[in-house]
Amino acid sequence: MLSFNKGTRTSAAFLLAFALVLAAFTGKNFLEMRRPDRVVPAPGFTSHMLSEWFPNISGTPVDTPVFIQDSGVPGGSVLIMGGTHPNEPAATMTAVIFLERATVSRGKLFVIPFANMSAFGHNSPQEASPQRMHFTLPDGSVRSFRYGSRATNPVHQWPNPDIYIHEASGQQLSGSEMANLNRAHPGVEDGPLTQRLAKGLLELLLREEIDLAFDLHEASPEYPVVNAIVAHENSMMLAAMVTMELEAQGVLIRLEPSPKNLRGLTHREWGDATSTMPILMETGNPSQGRLRGRTDEHLVMTGEDKFYAKAAQLGRLFIPYVNDQPMDLRVARHTESILTFLETLEFLDPEIAITVEGVPSYGEILEEGVGAFLSPVPDQ
Amino acid sequence: MSWFWPEGFYTLAMITAFGFGAFALKLPIAVAMSFAAVTGSLLGGAGIPLRHLVEGMFGYIDTILIIATAMIFMKTIEATGLLESVAAWMIRKFRSFPAVLSLGIVFLIMVPGMITGSSTAAVLTTGALVAPVMIKLGVPTLQTAAAIAMSAIYGMIAPPINLPAMIIGGGIDMPYVGFGIPLLICTVPLAVFTALWLVYPSLRKKSHDPALEEELSRMARTPLTARLFLPMAALVVLLGGERMFPEVWPSLGMPLSFLIASAVGIFSGVKWNIPETVNEAVNDALPVMGILMGVGMFIQIMTLIGVRGFVVVSALALPAWLLYVGIATSMPLFGAVSAFGSASVLGVPFLLALLGRNEILVGSALSLIAGLGDLMPPTALAGIFAAQVVGEKNYFRVLRYCLVPGLLTAVWGVAVILGAQYIAGILY
Repeated sequence: MLSFNKGTRTSAAFLLAFALVLAAFTGKNFLEMRRPDRVVPAPGFTSHMLSEWFPNISGTPVDTPVFIQDSGVPGGSVLIMGGTHPNEPAATMTAVIFLERATVSRGKLFVIPFANMSAFGHNSPQEASPQRMHFTLPDGSVRSFRYGSRATNPVHQWPNPDIYIHEASGQQLSGSEMANLNRAHPGVEDGPLTQRLAKGLLELLLREEIDLAFDLHEASPEYPVVNAIVAHENSMMLAAMVTMELEAQGVLIRLEPSPKNLRGLTHREWGDATSTMPILMETGNPSQGRLRGRTDEHLVMTGEDKFYAKAAQLGRLFIPYVNDQPMDLRVARHTESILTFLETLEFLDPEIAITVEGVPSYGEILEEGVGAFLSPVPDQ
Repeated sequence: MSWFWPEGFYTLAMITAFGFGAFALKLPIAVAMSFAAVTGSLLGGAGIPLRHLVEGMFGYIDTILIIATAMIFMKTIEATGLLESVAAWMIRKFRSFPAVLSLGIVFLIMVPGMITGSSTAAVLTTGALVAPVMIKLGVPTLQTAAAIAMSAIYGMIAPPINLPAMIIGGGIDMPYVGFGIPLLICTVPLAVFTALWLVYPSLRKKSHDPALEEELSRMARTPLTARLFLPMAALVVLLGGERMFPEVWPSLGMPLSFLIASAVGIFSGVKWNIPETVNEAVNDALPVMGILMGVGMFIQIMTLIGVRGFVVVSALALPAWLLYVGIATSMPLFGAVSAFGSASVLGVPFLLALLGRNEILVGSALSLIAGLGDLMPPTALAGIFAAQVVGEKNYFRVLRYCLVPGLLTAVWGVAVILGAQYIAGILY
């Protein structure tokens, strides 16, 4: 019988060497996750960094690209932000589609595809997430995007306290929420990285006088706020009009008021601290849910999962789930909702209207897939 | 069959591989968990995914640091003589009041858990402090360990800090507000029961034993000076300050607080061998730290190959009349991998399944049941450390004595869920 209780110097040296080799091998894999995804902005976009509005994050891992397309024609300013939670990939891909396809002929469009850049650089332990997802383009080329974590990379912000106290309200949350961008708003000037990032986003909203701001998300199918719009009091009228319009188009979506006692989220803090109309939107993503089975890229892209199918039969889900919930559908929902908001804005206040063309419709995305609307990456 | 295949098969295969590794090959538990994880990933067609195995381990890095540093702290106050001297003082002071002493001991163990939200911290601080008191007063070793483990769990669940409740609430965007009284309802009756069931009967018999005095004189050989209390005082200040004045107090975190408090032991006026103490502490904590790393791999592979979904949806698929049995059994059992993991993986879906009742009371009760996971081997953080504190090598002997209060805890948790509406009507 082998004995595992007697350690010798030789066995210790062997185990140490083995651990070092393992660390080198996996370390290389983990470091590769920190390489930013490439995007191909549509003509007219200019590239900036968030630190231009808030120098406190300059040179830090949370500084993130901000793309602006200014039509030069007076109109509204609209922000589309994806990547608050990089494990909610339809949010990121929707922002990328707008970045790579939009032509703005009135007003000004801001796009932040990777809001928490640090969180894109790692995966949450014990979630077994895939590291990347791939899209085939019409020319046969393949583009990949990272599937990250809900939280800022602990390599950049660690340790979390045992209890996270939201500075503006004193609200107590589990310590891990300290690294959650959507519990950090309106941000803290000299706070931890995530809180500073939130402060940077607030500065952008204030200085650019953003009229309408989208924070795109996904949620587990078993979570009640899914396939939903969450609106602050400032944006409730507009959101109600959009909800009715979407339902008329056959895109069923819930409208939820932003809870006043749940602090740190964009739909509450942006509305309270600025004159913007904040909108948070959620689609149903089985790959982040607790009921999911095998966790891999296939699940991320298709949402096919027999356990979710079973949960749907049991009446445990808040989305109409039959056998899948594909990325194309989730991106199409977000895209169509944003386009409807932009169209409806004109009826609410013509002075802040914005005209955006070139972005595919709900039907086009469902028919041709997300990959069809991504641009090939030029050779470096 | 399609429901069971292949994820149900993987579940059985991973459990079998663990059992084979631990009992037939007699591998250390940590290695057996890793062996089961690799078996699962091979059967699940994922090969040997080094990235996943390493990533899974990192889920417990904070817990591992807390365990290592808390153990150093415990060994420090043991080496300086504080543990035995305080025990002797407490026995002399309170042995004539066994009922009060029983309740006081349980409450004392709970306090660090209430402040830090960690049962490990409770066991290795005040748990270690009162263990010699209880043993000298005649509480059998195994019952002492069981009482410490149960009290530490109730401390972890009692307000003001309850991490499982925060995790469960966070899963449905419910702020951690208004949990104080519901958590007291969940924990106080059980803590009183534990004191009266496990501690009081032995104290009542032994507290007047005259032979005890000689032993007490030996234990009290280190004079109880103010300096001797410095490490404990430092810990109270560091952990308490962070909780009470979060706006101004720097967030040092538990590991650093334990290390600083241990270092303060240098000024306790007693000479002790620091390297030997630290070495002994890390050596004692190593098996549990290793288990956590193995468990981390195990969970990651469970998630990767679909076993986690199989377990969760199987529990949710129970008929309504069995749902409460499912809650009372699956949450503590899943706690075998971690109480916090149980709160997140099962607690959130169960709370969603019970929406419409008072969510704060239901969340509190679910956190109580999830807390039982700290008794469940192989991790059993509260149980294993409680056994270690009293010098018992076989945790399963301790677990036997946790059975009655453990079962009562699960029943009480389910009762609070069933009566949530009624209790809410009285409270709000």
